[in-house]
Amino acid sequence: MIKVEGLTKQFKVHKKTPGLKGSISSLFNREYIIKEAIKDINLEINQGEILGLIGSNGAGKTTLTKILSGIIHPTAGKVSVLGFDPWERDNRYRKQMSLIMGQKAQLWWDLPAADGFLLLKEIYQIPDTQFKQRLAYLSESLGIEKELNVQVRKLSLGERMKVELIAALLHQPKVVFLDEPTIGLDLSAQKAVRRFIKEYRKEFNPIMILTSHYMDDIEDLCDRIIIMKEGEFVYDGSIKQVQQEYAQSKLVTAQASPNINVSEEYRKFPKSLGEIEINDNGKITVRSPREKVMEAASYLIHYLKIEDLNISEEDIGDVIEHIMSKGKEA
Amino acid sequence: MSSWPIHVFNMELRRTLTYRADFWVNFIGQTLFSIVIAYFLWSSIFETLNVQTLNGFTMERMIVYYLLVPLVFRIQQGQTIGSISREIYEGSLNKFLLYPINFYGFKIITHFAGAVFYYAQIFVIIGLYQVFADNPIFEMSFLKLFYFTIAMLGISIAYFCLNSLSELVAFWADYIWSLGVIIRFAVSFMGGALIPLSFFPEWSMKILNLTPFPYMISFPMKILLEEVALKEFFLNMTILALWTLVFLFFSRVLWNKGRYRYTGVGI
Repeated sequence: MIKVEGLTKQFKVHKKTPGLKGSISSLFNREYIIKEAIKDINLEINQGEILGLIGSNGAGKTTLTKILSGIIHPTAGKVSVLGFDPWERDNRYRKQMSLIMGQKAQLWWDLPAADGFLLLKEIYQIPDTQFKQRLAYLSESLGIEKELNVQVRKLSLGERMKVELIAALLHQPKVVFLDEPTIGLDLSAQKAVRRFIKEYRKEFNPIMILTSHYMDDIEDLCDRIIIMKEGEFVYDGSIKQVQQEYAQSKLVTAQASPNINVSEEYRKFPKSLGEIEINDNGKITVRSPREKVMEAASYLIHYLKIEDLNISEEDIGDVIEHIMSKGKEA
Repeated sequence: MSSWPIHVFNMELRRTLTYRADFWVNFIGQTLFSIVIAYFLWSSIFETLNVQTLNGFTMERMIVYYLLVPLVFRIQQGQTIGSISREIYEGSLNKFLLYPINFYGFKIITHFAGAVFYYAQIFVIIGLYQVFADNPIFEMSFLKLFYFTIAMLGISIAYFCLNSLSELVAFWADYIWSLGVIIRFAVSFMGGALIPLSFFPEWSMKILNLTPFPYMISFPMKILLEEVALKEFFLNMTILALWTLVFLFFSRVLWNKGRYRYTGVGI
């Protein structure tokens, strides 16, 4: 279990004036500003939960992950992960947690991944049989058995992420921090990583905290999301709830019949039923207020002679973007 | 008990051998470079002064000195030079903070692993010299080998602790490459790698003997080229050990304070 109370993190940042003059003057006189990366946040995460941390760059997601994993020290507040203060770097805690950094390799670049795994076996004191079983399970689930003996630097980005995942999970951690695990990967590699994380979670039930800019990762994997803006939580709840609470409209999409004059009918569409858009192929999209959605659908069926109709929730990414831009007032 | 130190050592050895070309170029290039410079510089000094011996050094002894001294210097430097500050600066220290192992322990083992090949190289050169020289100016014995190995182990730890002091400044000053260069130069100059210490004035030696530097280069060179009594060996090793404790104490202070400033950039 993770419990955070009144957590605050401030960074002292050197403020540099641009240009050569600024560089020279900074050699003698430096101006610093205090940047508040996290502002008095409270959080509880239970065993088996998978939490998605969302926010634009600089929102405080990675800082929170670093504090929870014990890399950096909080300015104020209390943090407890599995009953330990991460900053104390107690080996009993470090043996139960893992941080996967999409942008930073942890394995040894010049050696095959298999060599790195053997070292991790010793570092985490994993018994022989368990090590073999876990390595076989993880490499098979990720479909990377053949690449384990290739130098890490010679692997593709997707393969590298897969071996990093194995390295981080070999000791079967109870808390897993995933910092942008699919960054830079192609679509099929992203899917493979997501599928693997889902299976792993089902099998071992760890706490997982996922930071990602890809909404597909969040939608596919997380039960609960936290949206961060300027160091604060602006939303904490389920994905379904975020749509119900914040998505004021639904999307009605339809394919117009080729026999009708789309542009003429488009002009006639009542504004009270929502905003309508029609593309060159006759695909109609209406963003309609939730209470008017049936009326809008019925209008399309009767007056635009449509061939196909679909009603869906607004794109989760758009909803979250809206919350992020408005903050707590959204 | 965990055997991760043996694995780290083993891995670092293999990592060094991954770059075979660099390994051989380094070995041969460094030896040739050192010999050529020493030969031209000191032969012209001997000729100008028109002497056969200078401060106890004949020309042959001088060449042998400059053949071995770069390797002694490199054994003590091991593999960690710049790596701690780079890890702080680039944020790759993160992974060491996550592993349930001691960061210093990990680094000192990679430091030793980096030194092993230089240690082997020095004996290849000594062996070749003993075989091909008509009348070698020094002889090797098991006792010398034993003294030299113990001394180099201690020197390597001392240098690691001294160097880590400068590297940990990266917690405050981001990029401190030049500080490392200054320390390297100080050790190399005051230790006798640039000019043998017998060329230094007597008054300066009195001061230098209070510092750790003569024990880091001149002392192991003396073990190889001369005879060192057990008493002198113990005395020098004790002084070195005391300095190591001082460096270790201050580097622990810097580490404990610096960690609060660490921002783990890069993720």
